[in-house]
Amino acid sequence: MPRSSNRLNSKTPGRRPARRLASYGPDRTLAWQLSSFVLFFGMWEAAGRWPVSAAFPPFSQTVVALAEMAADGSLAQAYASTLQPLVIGIVICGIAGVGFGIGMGLSRAVEWFTLPVVIILQAAPMAAIIPLITYMYGIGLTAKVLAVVFMAAPVVVMNSYKGIRNTSPSLVEMCRAFLGTRRQVVAKVVLPYAAALIFTGLRLGLAMGFIGVVIAELLITPTGIGDLITYHSSVAEYSKMFAAIASIVTVAALTLYGLERLEHVLFPAEIRGA
Amino acid sequence: MHRSFKMFPAMPLLAVMILAGAYADGAWAQSGAKIRYALGDVVSVDELPLLIAVERAKKRGVAVEVTSFKSEDVATQAVINGQADIGQGTPYAAIQKVNVPVRFFYQMSALQFFPIVNTQFYKSWKDLDGQEIAVHTRGSGTEAIMRLMAKEHKINYKNVSFVPGSNVRALGLLKGTIKASILDAANKNYVMKEAPGKFAILPLGKVQASDEALFATQAFLQKNQAAVAILLEELIKVNREINKDPKSVVAARKALGLLKDLPAKLEAEILPYFEEAAKGGILPNDGGGESAAKNDLEFYKLAGALKGENLKAGDFWTFAPLKAALAKVK
Repeated sequence: MPRSSNRLNSKTPGRRPARRLASYGPDRTLAWQLSSFVLFFGMWEAAGRWPVSAAFPPFSQTVVALAEMAADGSLAQAYASTLQPLVIGIVICGIAGVGFGIGMGLSRAVEWFTLPVVIILQAAPMAAIIPLITYMYGIGLTAKVLAVVFMAAPVVVMNSYKGIRNTSPSLVEMCRAFLGTRRQVVAKVVLPYAAALIFTGLRLGLAMGFIGVVIAELLITPTGIGDLITYHSSVAEYSKMFAAIASIVTVAALTLYGLERLEHVLFPAEIRGA
Repeated sequence: MHRSFKMFPAMPLLAVMILAGAYADGAWAQSGAKIRYALGDVVSVDELPLLIAVERAKKRGVAVEVTSFKSEDVATQAVINGQADIGQGTPYAAIQKVNVPVRFFYQMSALQFFPIVNTQFYKSWKDLDGQEIAVHTRGSGTEAIMRLMAKEHKINYKNVSFVPGSNVRALGLLKGTIKASILDAANKNYVMKEAPGKFAILPLGKVQASDEALFATQAFLQKNQAAVAILLEELIKVNREINKDPKSVVAARKALGLLKDLPAKLEAEILPYFEEAAKGGILPNDGGGESAAKNDLEFYKLAGALKGENLKAGDFWTFAPLKAALAKVK
């Protein structure tokens, strides 16, 4: 809270807003958030018991199913399989995607050559591209890695590119004024300045990667979490199906939240542009 | 507190929106006088008997609206949630586990699959001991057949991989990425035609279980006896015509103008497909009935879809609609 409080105090003299904000201190905010979760899960439980649909399990049954799947090892086995294409895909995006983004930011030629492809990829609906991938690359790991890359790469590339392009011109001028070479401008000013946006790109790329890998596992061949969802759906074990879906949503949300926290620690607000 | 966490108080609102949407969808789905038929597959050559029966039922005053869904699961959910009246498929697990009185009432076709191997690597069931095979999905009929055969021939597969879609497995076989699998009739014919001599069909004992059956809620069947009887009569008549003369399906398709945009390649497959179906006896003359129910319970228990002992046909099937229809077509 200190950042927001300072900003508010500096803009609006007088104590009222600050006092109002202070009344929502960390403890109270946490209580609100917890009550929000309790209400959400309570409504889920009620809807399952009502029931909103014969195939909609209550929250309690979903938790039991999740515990069963964790205990019998099927959940761990599924994650080992799902994370494989996800990690490979994100590493590829981290190296090639960031590389292309930086290249586009620094060179007009690379920008003209690459930007249209990235924009088309960004606009293309992933589920429609999956059949193309399978016809060209089959149904194995390669196809799933490509699904992750196609989803994540545009965000990673565009953020890296924007990060480089949005470097403060006054900082670049300052470096030049001190007779900095182009290499020094890039290494000492542009890249450090773009680092926060590049990191944001990787975080958002990971979010897209989670979507890509689950789509691939549902549409190409059922493996990992996709297999748990399709199998338990086909044998009408809906609580296990919901547990698999809830687990991947939770894992994705927690991973992204953790990365966002890390981003705040690594990069100060003025660099993030916050 | 962190910016993203400020969103979380919106979660109950999200839940309300989702639940309201689900309720509204269910409520709207209640209206409508015609029979809403949920098909868990794309409409193709193998659905011609259904399409012919639907056209003939329409002439007798029963409008049947066939909707293609992505998968059998979705079609089943549509029936369970009241968005469709009749579903097509074999969702035994759902009927056993979901607390909604849904019952099968007509067997459209029996399972007809062909275990196929690349002769460069395998020639018999014994050769598949310790080898990898590809089937449709976990818990599917194709997996059950392959596991049943492994048991009969006392072999163990090294690995069973899941590759949904006979057409995808057929391409895998032709490309060489799959060496042993199981295909439906149309794709088996396609593979054998594309690469003559490269593949062999392994012998399969008589597997008598439903591939496609009709199911609906008991309430719907009770309320719409006359309409259901007309549809069943027409389905039975079409199957009997095809079993007597497979060419009849080609003539009926032309007369009724069905599947007009079928590519020439697929059009040529219509007659061989139904000749094989008639020869293999997969289109029942009597709608399956009690014998189909008994065979299905045995097979789907083995497949892992059904759990428990002393399964009763009456908990899965209702025979009255079929008996009423059979009484009229005799």
